[in-house]
Amino acid sequence: MTRQTEQPAALQAGSEIPPVVKELTQAKIDAYARAGGDNNPLHTDPEFAAKTQFGGAIAHGMLVLAYLSQMMTAAFGQAWLSRGRLKARFRAPARPGDTIVASGRLLRREGGRAICQVECRNQRGEVLVSAEAEAPV
Amino acid sequence: MSVTLEKLPKGHQFPPAEFELSPEWVSQYVAAVEDAAIGRLGDDLVPPMAVAALSIRALLDAASLPPGAIHLGQELAFLRPLSIGERLSARARVASRGERQGWALMSIELDVADGAGRPVMTGRATVTMPLDPERTA
Repeated sequence: MTRQTEQPAALQAGSEIPPVVKELTQAKIDAYARAGGDNNPLHTDPEFAAKTQFGGAIAHGMLVLAYLSQMMTAAFGQAWLSRGRLKARFRAPARPGDTIVASGRLLRREGGRAICQVECRNQRGEVLVSAEAEAPV
Repeated sequence: MSVTLEKLPKGHQFPPAEFELSPEWVSQYVAAVEDAAIGRLGDDLVPPMAVAALSIRALLDAASLPPGAIHLGQELAFLRPLSIGERLSARARVASRGERQGWALMSIELDVADGAGRPVMTGRATVTMPLDPERTA
């Protein structure tokens, strides 16, 4: 589900960016592995992944970042594609069965750019990815 | 594929990788990440994270990720919108590398340019991976 958005000009400091919500499945992780060419068994082989420190398959970090990028695309349009910046840290793994919510808010406008704090959380409220994102406004 | 990533030294330059944002691949990517936002901006635009994913995929043809590799962080800067059908080239190098307790910690810088050689995206990934993948589990 992706909700359409208020326009960038309407986003002021403190404004929340309309969230993006995704239901993660092993099939979606497998589809991303095929598209991204990253067949690390940590993502695609639940039997292998079960024996690792993660105890099961986890999603590619770039898949979770794609959800954040979708949220920024919806909020900032071509400005995100033209001059967007993202600095992300992966905090916890996303797993099949998780409901992932990408959300964020505009911290401030500075030098013609919107500086945003964004993150992805799972259904238990755990932060999976935290990031600073910028787009021209 | 001759080498896995953890064996590469600091300063290693990956062979330049060229690729096309083909309609088929972009469709596969957009479906995999369920990107409903990009289509609202235009029929021929490519999600910026797709460019990152395809660049990494192209580079992984030269050095594979070992089983158990973990993506810790990602920085990206998008420099212009990209369209389906564009040809791009990606260059990457190992910007830093360290070892601790059987794991390698590496940062890899990525530069992507269009067919005219103009930069379209830059990035930096931080990854960690076991020095002995056989002992990951």
